[in-house]
Amino acid sequence: MIRRTFKLAWFKRSRYSLTIIAIALSVAFIVSTLLLTTSIADVGQPLNDAYEGVDVVVQGPSITAGDGPVAGIKAPVAPSVVDALTNAGFEAVGFTSSYAQILDPGGNAAGQDQASSNVAEPWLGDSPLNGYEISTGAAPAGPGEAAIDSTTADAAGLEIGSIIRYVTDNGLQEAELVGIATFGGADNDPYTSTLLLDQDDPVFVPTQGFSYVLVADGTETATVEGIAELTPNAEVLSGSDWIAEQIDLLNSFTGFFSTFLTVFAVIAVVVGMVIVTNTFTVSLAQRTEELALLRLVGTTRRQLMAQVVLEALFLGLAGTAVGVVVGLLGVNVLGWFLDILGLSIERSNAISTIAIAIGVLVGVGVTVVAAVWPAWKATEVAPIEALRSAELEPPSASRKRLMAGAAALAIGAACLVYGMVQTDILVTGIGIGGAFLALYLGADTMIRIAARLVRPLLARAGPTGTVASRNLERNAGRTSAAASALMIGVSLIGFFTLMAATIGQFIAGDSADALRVDYVVQGIGSQPEPALNDQTLSALRSSDGVDEVVPLYLTSVTSTNALEVERVGPGGGSLGVAVTEVEALRAAYDFTVNDGSLDDVAGTLVVVDQALSDSMTLAVGDTLEVTAIAGSIELEVAAIVETTLPGAPQPAIIGSLDLGTALGYNSPATVAYILGDADEAALTQAVGLPTIDVLTLDDYISSLSSNLDTILALVYALLAVAVIIALVGIANTVSLAISERLGEIAAIRAAGASSRQIFWSLISEFTILALVGVVSGLGLAWVAATAFFRALSEGQINSAQTDIATGLLIIVAGLLGGAAASWLPARNASKADILDVLRAD
Amino acid sequence: MSSAGSRKVETETPSSGATSEHVASLVGASKVFGEGDAVVRALDDVTIGFRRGQFTAVMGPSGSGKSTLMYCQSGLDRLSSGQAFVGDVDVSTLSDQELSVLRRSKLGFIFQSFHLVPALSAHENITLPVDLDSGAEVDEDFLAELAEVLGIANRLENRPSQLSGGQRQRVAVARAMIPRPDVIFADEPTGALDSKTSGELLTYLRQAVDELGQTIVMVTHDAVAASHCDRVVYVQDGRLVGEAQQPTVDDVLNKIRELS
Ligand SMILES: Nc1ncnc2c1ncn2[C@@H]1O[C@H](COP(=O)(O)OP(=O)(O)O)[C@@H](O)[C@H]1O
Ligand SMILES: [Mg+2]
Repeated sequence: MIRRTFKLAWFKRSRYSLTIIAIALSVAFIVSTLLLTTSIADVGQPLNDAYEGVDVVVQGPSITAGDGPVAGIKAPVAPSVVDALTNAGFEAVGFTSSYAQILDPGGNAAGQDQASSNVAEPWLGDSPLNGYEISTGAAPAGPGEAAIDSTTADAAGLEIGSIIRYVTDNGLQEAELVGIATFGGADNDPYTSTLLLDQDDPVFVPTQGFSYVLVADGTETATVEGIAELTPNAEVLSGSDWIAEQIDLLNSFTGFFSTFLTVFAVIAVVVGMVIVTNTFTVSLAQRTEELALLRLVGTTRRQLMAQVVLEALFLGLAGTAVGVVVGLLGVNVLGWFLDILGLSIERSNAISTIAIAIGVLVGVGVTVVAAVWPAWKATEVAPIEALRSAELEPPSASRKRLMAGAAALAIGAACLVYGMVQTDILVTGIGIGGAFLALYLGADTMIRIAARLVRPLLARAGPTGTVASRNLERNAGRTSAAASALMIGVSLIGFFTLMAATIGQFIAGDSADALRVDYVVQGIGSQPEPALNDQTLSALRSSDGVDEVVPLYLTSVTSTNALEVERVGPGGGSLGVAVTEVEALRAAYDFTVNDGSLDDVAGTLVVVDQALSDSMTLAVGDTLEVTAIAGSIELEVAAIVETTLPGAPQPAIIGSLDLGTALGYNSPATVAYILGDADEAALTQAVGLPTIDVLTLDDYISSLSSNLDTILALVYALLAVAVIIALVGIANTVSLAISERLGEIAAIRAAGASSRQIFWSLISEFTILALVGVVSGLGLAWVAATAFFRALSEGQINSAQTDIATGLLIIVAGLLGGAAASWLPARNASKADILDVLRAD
Repeated sequence: MSSAGSRKVETETPSSGATSEHVASLVGASKVFGEGDAVVRALDDVTIGFRRGQFTAVMGPSGSGKSTLMYCQSGLDRLSSGQAFVGDVDVSTLSDQELSVLRRSKLGFIFQSFHLVPALSAHENITLPVDLDSGAEVDEDFLAELAEVLGIANRLENRPSQLSGGQRQRVAVARAMIPRPDVIFADEPTGALDSKTSGELLTYLRQAVDELGQTIVMVTHDAVAASHCDRVVYVQDGRLVGEAQQPTVDDVLNKIRELS
């Protein structure tokens, strides 16, 4: 039994090899995307080891507003708390985030990635609270000595014994590098580049208090209850709860990528399932005939099903095995690509068994189901009837399929409309899914219609053209799979291209055009830290040719009715605030005032943008309650402007410098606008810090979307993989479809058709198939992008940025892709020896 | 032509190249399959010509090389050595494109398993060779006449899957006839048909030769089928081993018994 199955499989190996490749590619795509997703989610793991010794953590109370606590904002812990705990016999240390950017030997910022924070931390020696361990060299033993984490040391090429330089809020500093440290067994604290300094270093002097205090057993045993008694005004939680909170925070930071990769993994699973299913439906007639013949010679149904299952298992296992191996390699390639892009998403090396299990499930499970289902149906009827049905033309569009498609369309459309009106992202997502399903199910009907439309055109090419259009119609049910594969590929590309254009327009659009400055100075990296202290600002002011320096202090507040104002980008519920010299800013930025007057801005009288005014129905004179580190504050709208300053997240509120004081903001400025005929090199020299960039206006504007560009590069890389898989799927479907038809081709050839006529007839047939896939894919992309953006931007973006030229380019590329995928099978079939087929009968 | 085999049998040897009375001919034709120990001489130095307006049966046991002879003669397959002429054209010198044109304009084929195009109606299947030629026009009168004689006039709009075996083979015959080819090659055309249907088909082929002067070369192992022909040639192990004019069924059966 098993022998015979293998023999049959071997006989059909050329037919199977592409199928196995298609399964393998799909599985590899699924496994590598899922592995990447889980390894990113797993990156917080070192925290568990690093802070194993932390028993209790003391944090400031959550700031409350309205009905409950505001997530993420905590009051600082007074320095006296640490003293009190130490005196009570506990081991306690206070932490506050201190900015420290390490420089490499060339004087450039080391380890500067968009994802990393650059901090200084006190070296805690043998204390169980110390998350770090020295792996080489010694610990910093006093002022002027420093250790750094192993990742930063490697990246910057810094060696023990050398003098390293770093920039803090106090300016450029120096220390001797005495040791290299690891964090919880890992090379670094996730997403952090750490400088370990002596505890007494001036950088650690707390101004407002500590962000949190870590506590361990000293002479007394630290319990949550015990510590809570000693610190009545604070929030006290166990070490393990705190670690879990930190890991959650890390994951929310990479949440965007995780979500994004998860979406891709789902896409991978869908693409994989579609392709594997295609492989079997397209050769249905051949299989039905084969099965019917075996039944004719007396094979029982049970024997037959066993054989089919074995055969499918063999195919599925072979493809899956190859796919898992390729997927394991592929995740490294993806990771390497992320590094090249400078995305440096940190990953753990753990291999998720779930990721592999899902890959195996799709590879083997879908293969078996896709193979067994038609076999089951074919063996349900009498053998002769099965034989006849294999020969007969398949019925026009299956009624069930059409009904299911119509239902999916109705539900999808309803969800899309609801999602767009209510700007509900989840319902919109369901709507997009419904639209996809409708197109997938309706593909054969669309192909039939297309075939009918092009029939007169094809008929002009003679009988081979007629055959092409007839076959399109006849085999639509089977070959629609190829169109669907292409549809998925094109809709993905279309969607993300539209996304890029739309977000790009949104980020750098109108608001950047209103900027009237000559230079913009800000910290390096794509998410600049507030790095412009007073010293730097005055150096800029006294630089040659500088007329005006407008510093922007960027912070954020939480709105009391946060849920109503969820905006684009991370930190939903929070509103960006720019605190500045409003009078000076008016020269640097060309405000379009829709209502009120900028003259009135002072204290808690602020400017808001039209979008905020719309979403919260704010008019001039209305008040708005917000919460910042200093507590709740009532702001009053003095003016409404069309757009506010560029940058992400865009500040929705602009206020005077005294607003900063009221909000409790006391960090350096993040951005400075420079007006005047100054020299770039002179400005750079005046700043004198490698951690700060001087950008011309043009450079600044293009830097606004560079973040997006990097992400898009990743998107396109993943897309390329998805599209290649889709193309292999198409090639497989096409070659199987053609192999079903070799007899017919031989008959036409014997009647005198040249191989060129056959070739072009096949190509035109599959190009029309591709056209259906490409056009429906593009349509889906447009609908999805429009609905998606409306929902995501709370109605701020009402339609996707459309560009006819790009659309045409995608159509042409899709058609070429489809033609390329069918080129080889069509060529082989048209060149095939007629006699091979005639003799076979 | 030095081989003993070809001298022993009296064949109509074409002089150098082909004479005008031969529509198709093989000269010193050999076809070898495989290599080394597994080598099969499917055709072994065969020289034969087919005259215009003649109905020839090629007979022989299974595996004797009948189909190979027909395929090589018609240019569907290439000879290992020797020449195959259609008219005065050596088919081995033709490109794929030229062979295609030759098939659609000068040759007709009828196969045991019909080989109709399932996507096309009977009518479209019949006109296929003419339609493939962008310059040519279908002679609708001739087609109507063919359909009438073959008894498929009322089935022309049906697809092959809706026709019986006998009807399919008549469509195939009409398709072979429609371009008024120089020669029709039929490989066991009655092999898949019952005796009554076979008889009708053979009668029709006979009629085409007698009334239209059609040249037909028919591979068969059926003595009854051969008895409809003007001439029968016997093939064994890739060689011509005998030939007769106006054979009767008994003649053929005797010859076959003698050969085996
Ligand atoms: N493609 C091929 N490859 C190998 N051997 C072949 C091939 N075609 C035919 N033969 C061999 O050539 C011989 C003649 O075959 P064929 O002409 O089909 O015989 P017939 O039509 O008289 O039954 C047989 O021995 C057959 O096995
Ligand atoms: Mg034969």
